[in-house]
Amino acid sequence: MKNKIKIQRAIHNLTQDDLAKKISVSRQTINTMESGKYIPSTALALKLAVVLGVSVEELFQLEKGD
Amino acid sequence: MQKLPLLPHVCQKIGFVLILPFLTLGIAFVGWDYNISWLSYHNGAGLLGTNDNLTDEIAAVGTIIRLMLIAFSKEKIEDEAIQFFRLASLQWAVIVNYIILMVCILVWYGVAFLSVMTYNMFTILFIFIIRFRVVLFQYNKASV
Repeated sequence: MKNKIKIQRAIHNLTQDDLAKKISVSRQTINTMESGKYIPSTALALKLAVVLGVSVEELFQLEKGD
Repeated sequence: MQKLPLLPHVCQKIGFVLILPFLTLGIAFVGWDYNISWLSYHNGAGLLGTNDNLTDEIAAVGTIIRLMLIAFSKEKIEDEAIQFFRLASLQWAVIVNYIILMVCILVWYGVAFLSVMTYNMFTILFIFIIRFRVVLFQYNKASV
């Protein structure tokens, strides 16, 4: 699954730490999500979408094989 | 993701502190048949009764308690990614533990196998703790 968390974070001028605090997770979790090593739950994906002001579909895209 | 029921983070520290006394007691019992004298008791009545000692029981129960305290306490920040790694590590530990047990079943027989079963009481938790710590280390290192 691809995601645009890093791009959206840059648009909103947020550090990984800022974003982590806003959605109550660790900075490492933001990092693993950005690098695609961890796919968040629906609840966390919705939280991210709300904080970054985009829809979940804009933030996450399915890839071939998903 | 629904949160897993876990012990508070402070229990992990208690578990680490308890390593030394119970490990020492366990090694002393296994290696030198050490028994704490005041834990002796007479089991049964008259000549049929036997003298027994609770040192090994205390060492085993204490070891299981301290391993469980370390294994099932929250991390400082316990979010869903950590919980995912926790469950993945537990699955890994169960698989590795049973692979080791299968090899032991084929290699050891009789009384020697009894020792394998004794150690196997602790290995699943031990392997899980080691695996989870390694995964957390890699997770922290990757995001520096």
